[in-house]
Amino acid sequence: MGKKVVEIENLVKRYKELIALDHLNLAVEEGEIFGLLGPNGSGKTTAINCILALLYFDKGSVKVFGKEMQPDSYEIKRQIGVVLQNVAVFEELTVQENIDYFCGLYIQDKMVRKKYVEEAMVFSGLEEFRKFYPKKLSGGLLRRLNIACGIAHKPKLIIMDEPTVAVDPQSRNRILEGIQMLNKEGAAIIYTSHYMEEVEQICSRIAILDKGRCVASGTKEELKSMIKMGEKIHMEVMNLLPFQIAEIKELRHVYQVEYQDGMLEICCSGGKHNLVHILDYFNSREIGFGRVYSELPTLNDVFLEITGKKLRDSAETA
Amino acid sequence: MFFRIYKYSLLRSTRDRLMVFWNLVFPIILGSLFQVAFGNYTEKEVLFHQIPVAYVKEEGADGNFTELLEILETDSELIQVQTVGKDKAEQLLRDGEVEGIYYNKTAEETDGQAEGIYDNEPGKETDGQEELGITLVVQEQDMNQSILNSILEQYERTCATLLTIGKEYPEGIQEAAKLLEEDTKYLKENSMGAASDNGILDYFYSLIAMNCLMGATTGLLCSVEFKADLSALAARRVVAGHSRFQVLWPDLAAKITLQFIYIVFTACYLMFVLHVPLGEQWGFLLLTIFVGSLLGIFLGFFIGVAGRMQYSMKEALCILIMMVSSFFSGLMMDGMQRLVEQYAPVFARINPASLIVKSFYSLNIYETYGRYLQNLGTMLVLILVLAAGSFAMVRRERYASI
Repeated sequence: MGKKVVEIENLVKRYKELIALDHLNLAVEEGEIFGLLGPNGSGKTTAINCILALLYFDKGSVKVFGKEMQPDSYEIKRQIGVVLQNVAVFEELTVQENIDYFCGLYIQDKMVRKKYVEEAMVFSGLEEFRKFYPKKLSGGLLRRLNIACGIAHKPKLIIMDEPTVAVDPQSRNRILEGIQMLNKEGAAIIYTSHYMEEVEQICSRIAILDKGRCVASGTKEELKSMIKMGEKIHMEVMNLLPFQIAEIKELRHVYQVEYQDGMLEICCSGGKHNLVHILDYFNSREIGFGRVYSELPTLNDVFLEITGKKLRDSAETA
Repeated sequence: MFFRIYKYSLLRSTRDRLMVFWNLVFPIILGSLFQVAFGNYTEKEVLFHQIPVAYVKEEGADGNFTELLEILETDSELIQVQTVGKDKAEQLLRDGEVEGIYYNKTAEETDGQAEGIYDNEPGKETDGQEELGITLVVQEQDMNQSILNSILEQYERTCATLLTIGKEYPEGIQEAAKLLEEDTKYLKENSMGAASDNGILDYFYSLIAMNCLMGATTGLLCSVEFKADLSALAARRVVAGHSRFQVLWPDLAAKITLQFIYIVFTACYLMFVLHVPLGEQWGFLLLTIFVGSLLGIFLGFFIGVAGRMQYSMKEALCILIMMVSSFFSGLMMDGMQRLVEQYAPVFARINPASLIVKSFYSLNIYETYGRYLQNLGTMLVLILVLAAGSFAMVRRERYASI
């Protein structure tokens, strides 16, 4: 077990009547990418702001690098890099100047800073755009600049609050690869998102938040093992009769069947060879079928099963 | 770190075209338009010049008035007296060589021809001089004639007062004379002050005052980049490993520097390109501009940190305060300051634009610095109040919500 970089205990934060964080407990260890997954309004950004000592909270404690985090914990803050949800760069400074400005808030040595700025530009793929002003950059490049400004000083802990919002797939992949690279270089990373695919792709441990509570946490495998679903099978079937649906439900390990617009969705619990059993049934009843595919449970399924709602739907309606 | 942030802050401000337009280009355009509208007044350079006046004195006439004119000519340099005969005096007036003629006749010879003031026709005389035998004849009604009349009226009042005191309280005559001597100084200040009461210079003073207060939008921007609950940029700076104030000071210093430079540039343009006589006391002029810049920036900073209104609302509030303040300082209407003094004296004493205008005014009109320092002091107190209020509001480092 690695050394704890961030420890949150029983954190409660209220906005008048609304409970934004409800006795939240989290621990982030050295060298890991810790994902905070949850729909909009689940408390991810509030948790980040509490970690950074930007917000008052009603109860609990936040420790960073083993020390209580306070607004004047400058020594601790110097080891943290922050990439906020909203792009926070100066419109009147070029790409290079922006990175230099924010890097300079941490690094005083001119030569070291120059080297770090150059590295940050290479890291974020902005070398060709160094003389560009932010308004001339595309959304993806702007996000990359936002990241470069947050990580140029080579912090030990990087906090990224939804850094890929409204970013094109190419930039998103580049950002995700970059985060993994930063992690390999030794930085612990807290990554918040409501995109489960991203979290699943890069995070070594994940906490799922809903209504300010941590509803589940662990590695993605651990999270998936917490739920009943082990496999989801989709089949194209025409004119399936109700009694046949009932028969499928009776098959071994099948616990849920949905049939809509010629598409059959079968949820199976953790047994092996589920697909074989189902195909056997269709063959034995001489029921024709089209495409068949099987998928393992996603974090969305985990979220759905734990909270009773879909992660993406919550994100969109929030 | 200070100089690096200061440098970047200067860079950012100079690249902000909107800010450069409103703080530098707009005042220059407005100043040029003022010049087009009132140019002839300033070109005549009626200000700060002695007013030429002819003096016709008959034998046995009031000698005190002669002495007063001598004082006003030599000590105060308010008027330039030519003692001549009646015909010569009238000739000078017709030729426009003098602005008026003082007739100092013996009381018995006064023929009561004085009726009405400023008839704008040569030969008409002012009223009320029968007892003393002093009359004023003017060519036309203008500011200078108004000053000449003020001198005469003041003299009359002084004589009448002394006469009354001499009759009813003869032992206090010495003390009264002393007080009236001080009153004469006031007359001098008042008369010289009247020189700018044509309002032309006030427009330019108000323009500079408005320019100073435009710093409010700059100060507002500073606050937005300082408070983490106002912008993501501020949040990013707050979580850096330094006290928030270590980032604020160089930022504020850069904004003040640039605002000061912009206004000095505007003032130079007014003085050297448009030939507006703003004055020659450069040190004090610069000091006033500097304090005015501080006032504008801290006003905006205060508005920025107070309350949780949206940025656009705060910006609108800054502009509203700037415009209202400038309006009541006389930017758009001659004589506005006098009206405000009359109907809202407290507001007149704390209105930021008025204070800046009055500082310039008192600096260039009065010989003493009393009034100037009073206005400057009030501005400094206002700055102190705004700064203290602002820092009291931002002293907490955590926020209830972001």
